[in-house]
This record gives sequence, C-alpha cells and structure tokens, in this order.
Amino acid sequence: MTDVWEEERGKPGCGRCGSPIEQEDLRCAVCFLPVPANAAAVQKVVARILRCDGCGAALTYDVDAKAPKCAFCGSVAHLEESEDPIDAADAYLPFRVDPATAREALKTWLGSLGWFRPGDLASEATVADLTPLWWVGWTFDVEALVSWTADSNAGARRSAWAPHSGQVPLTVRQALVSASRGLTNDEVEKLARHFDLGSAVSEPHAMQGAAIERFDVPRSSARRIIDRAVLAQAKQHAKQFVPGSRMRKLAAAVLPQRLRTRRYAFPSYVLAYRYRGDLYRAIVHGQDPSCVFGKAPWSVAKILLVVLGSAAALALIGFLIFALSR
Amino acid sequence: MQLECQSCGARVEIEADRRTGKCLYCGSPQVVDRPSTADRPNPELAIGFALPPEKALEVARRWVKGAFFAPQSFRKAAVEEIRGLYVPTYLYSAIAHSQYSAQIGENYTVTETYTTTDSKGRTVTRTRTKTKTEWRSLQGLHSIYVSDHVVTASRGIPNDELEAIEPFDFRDLRRFDPILLSGWGAEEPSYAPAQCVELARGEAAAQVGRMLGGFMPGDSHRSLQHSTRFDGEDLRLAMMPVWVLPVRYDPEKPPVRLLVNGQTGKITGKPPKSWLKITVAILLALAVVAGVVLLALEASR
Repeated sequence: MTDVWEEERGKPGCGRCGSPIEQEDLRCAVCFLPVPANAAAVQKVVARILRCDGCGAALTYDVDAKAPKCAFCGSVAHLEESEDPIDAADAYLPFRVDPATAREALKTWLGSLGWFRPGDLASEATVADLTPLWWVGWTFDVEALVSWTADSNAGARRSAWAPHSGQVPLTVRQALVSASRGLTNDEVEKLARHFDLGSAVSEPHAMQGAAIERFDVPRSSARRIIDRAVLAQAKQHAKQFVPGSRMRKLAAAVLPQRLRTRRYAFPSYVLAYRYRGDLYRAIVHGQDPSCVFGKAPWSVAKILLVVLGSAAALALIGFLIFALSR
Repeated sequence: MQLECQSCGARVEIEADRRTGKCLYCGSPQVVDRPSTADRPNPELAIGFALPPEKALEVARRWVKGAFFAPQSFRKAAVEEIRGLYVPTYLYSAIAHSQYSAQIGENYTVTETYTTTDSKGRTVTRTRTKTKTEWRSLQGLHSIYVSDHVVTASRGIPNDELEAIEPFDFRDLRRFDPILLSGWGAEEPSYAPAQCVELARGEAAAQVGRMLGGFMPGDSHRSLQHSTRFDGEDLRLAMMPVWVLPVRYDPEKPPVRLLVNGQTGKITGKPPKSWLKITVAILLALAVVAGVVLLALEASR
C-alpha cells in the first residue's frame, strides 16, 4: 500500500517555524519567512536586456497587463507569484459501510429513539434517498506557545474580578475543521471521532452515486479558517489555567510552530426518509454504522397522554392533600 | 558605472545608485545584474505596478486642487510630469517575545447615600449607585510573529514618506525578477540591512504595543509598558512601486514632490503654505469665537 503522505513528508519546512511549505508559497503561511529562491548567483556586474521569447524585442513591465509585455508582438511573460489555488482533498477515507448496511443502521437507530417516538417508526419509515458523500475538511497538527489574559474571581477584592495572565505550551494532534457546505458543524462534530485517519488513500474508490464535495475557498481563506481554529483551541486550552471558578474576557495570542494541515475527504451517507408523508434527514457514518443521527418525528399522542396523565396525577395528589387536611 | 549594451554594443552609462538605465544609441531598456553583498543585497521580492499613470495623475491633480491652505499658484499648477520608480525597501519579520506590565481597571459598584433638596425645598436623603474602578497590577508574557513591516532602503525616499503611502497589498507580492524593472526607474539600496533593522524593530514594537492594548483584561487599563525581544529576525530586500510626481508652481522655488503608491493609489506630499490664507483663517476663527462670546454675554444680561 502506498503512503498517501509520502509527498507531504518530502516538502521543505520553514526555517523559522518548521511548518511545511507548499510548492506555490513565496513565504511561509504561518510566520511569513520568505522561501529562499533557487536563482543562480550573479558573478559580475552586467547590463541586461530582457527579450521577448516570441519576437526577440526588448520586454518592459506593463502596468495594465501587470506583467512584462512585448510592445511589438503583445506576448505577456509569466512572473512567479504567490498562487492561491482552490484546494482538493489529498486523502480519502474509504467507505467501510455499504448502502444496505447504512439503511439497516438507520432502521436500528429509528427503533432506538425511545418511547416518545411513534411505535411504528422503524417499520413504517421508508428511505426516499440515500447519497454516499465524501465531505471535505482539514485536520491540523500544531505545537504552539499560548499567551493568555483573563479576569476571574480568584484574588478578587472590591471588584468581583481580578486580572490574570500566563503563557503555556499547547500540542494539538489531528484536530478536524469542516469545509463542508452540506453538513453543519454540529453534525461534523458528531461524526469526527469515529473516523480512522490511518485508513486514508490517495484516490476515492468506486462508489455508485457518490458525491465528492470540493473545498469552496481559496487556500488563503482556508488558512484563515485554520488560524481561527488554532486560536479557538488555544483559548480552550488556556481556560484550564485561569484560576477561580468564574472567568470573563479571556484573550489568547498564539505562536504556532510546525503547523501541518492535511486535506481529507470523509465518507458519510446523507439519507432522506419518509414517515407518514413527511420527509426527515439523517446521517449515517461511512466507517462506523453505530454512528447515526438526524431528525425524527415525535408521537404527539404519547406526549399528550403523559401530559394529561401527569396533570391528572397532580390533581389527585392535590385533592388527597386537601381532603386529608380537613 | 559604464556597461556594455547587449543590443548594440555601445557603452551605457548607469548611475551607481540606479538599477536600470537606457542605451542612448538604440534606446534598449537595461537592467543591471550584480553580485549580492552583505551591505547591498539583491532584491528577493517585489510588488509590480498596478496603478496606471493616468490614474496616478488623476489622484495627484485632485490632491493638488484640494490643498486648501496652499498658494493659488500651487493649486492651479499643471501636474504633468510622472515617473514610475521601484523603491528598494526591507521587508521585516520576526518572532516577538514581550514582557509587559499594566494597571488593569476592574469596575465595581457602590451604593452611596447623599442629601439633596426636593421640589418643595425640603432636605431629603437618597441613595444612588456609583461605578468605581479598582486598579490592579498585571505582568505577563506575550509571544507572536510580526511581519509585513516595510522600511525604506532608499536615501531618496525617507521612511516617513514611505509610511504615508503604505500599506502595500502583500497578496500581490512576487518573487523578484529583473524583468519587473525593465523600462522603469529603479534604485539600488542606499542602506545596508544592519542600518535599517532598528527602524524595523521600532515599527514591529509599535505593532506589539497596539496588540497588547487589545490583549489586556479588565474594563480599562493604563500605564501599559512592554519590553520586546526579537528572535529569528529576517530582512529581505523588496522593490516597491511608487509614482513620483514633481509639481512646479513657482520658478523661484523647488518643485513639490508627490508620491503615489503604484499599487493602491495612496498619495502623500508636503504642500507649500500660503501664510496669507492661514492668517485670514485664524482671524476668521477668532472673529467667530468673539461673536459667540459677545452673544453669550448679551444673553446672560
């Protein structure tokens, strides 16, 4: 089996923060250290004329084309600049649950939702649509130094708050950030802990009717999303170092090092099922059929019965107390 | 320095502080390639011109007309000369480790009893809630990356003038290629990196100070001080696009130099002052103040 991350391991690391450098980067995306150029050293002073590859005339930089342009033949030369591509997944986690098992998992889940759901929910629900979906997201590993400040009730005097500060190391491994448009953050959070990242392969396997989501944002926006996720992790980590039982105004600054981001496609089934004419949505994990969640109808009759029964019981107790107190 | 034109073989004279020139005989644009030294590194990064000259002229003309306190001769001066120049700058980045101390204001409320006179003239005792501030000391450590600080490497364009036309949009930053300079004016760096590093550190320390202001807890803060150590410092020579426009308004006086950011169109310059206009404005302001005072006195009689 080929190592899906072999190419990534071959990427150069930033000389200052150790984060991997993408091929298109002019500067490290984490600490902004410029990536060294591979140009050959100039040995002596010379005056050069830069010529058009097409017609041999002297080239000049053209402000309208924002590139060197030949005034004679109009050809435009390419200049190396920081590119901002739309990312694609580097690794796909395979489906380990087939569609039949996904349907069965849905039935099992519907039957396990408790007494307040319709008694015939599992038997009467029919699957209207089942879409295998590879949704996309990033995982990141980072080692960071987190500086924090906050107010807490520890050491408070006249005011209810006292200021505190600290600096702590943070290590995060395989934190998942969703890039999915189809799944909500809550749904992704429920799915995340059931994936086996070690099963990743570089190409999606054949899966009939499977949809593959794309990363809809350019890489620069993706990096801002990751930065926000790192900051959120840092704040969460810092919370445990704030003394006292209450806190407010927690602020964190992060110095990330060796920030490594990976782009994954995660397998899940998005199902639409019909029960008594209404459609409901459910998600079945693509690798673990025990992870199922979604919307399901309530049994209004059962809820009314419980409410009325409780009201009747309360009324009876009230009547008994009243009768005994006379 | 005298170099040979690669097009016609003639001798080309290029000033030592310039990186580009033009052959007098065949008109070919020349770009100088030279070995890099510690004091005079070669450019590694650049931002290309994005603002066309017509737009830069339009911005400059509007700015000249809007200089209200300048002499009329300046406001009516023709803005026609324009030259695109790549200015050598150093792009600074580092890790900033800071130690800070501040007084943090934590608000609390107290209920005060006070006496006052009610509408019937009787003395009554009442209570009110007042917010007070308790000041607490806070010390701490703060570590971040600082980047994108641009300091001039040109004796011709002082740092305060460069700052006035910043920021540059670093999303358009490119790897330096001599072809970017072809047909344009370009200076060699007048300063070595070691001469500019203090200036860059000063800018980075100011950025850290601003960030620390937003980092403080509490309801308010005062006496914020910090001392910052910079690790992993990096200075790279980057060529930045600037339109230079001399405005000639009086044959007796030197032209006023305007600088326009060749990427964003931000403009700076020091317009001459018309002391007559300034005096008239001060006298008018004094007259308005005197009028208001007189009216107030009249009303209070």
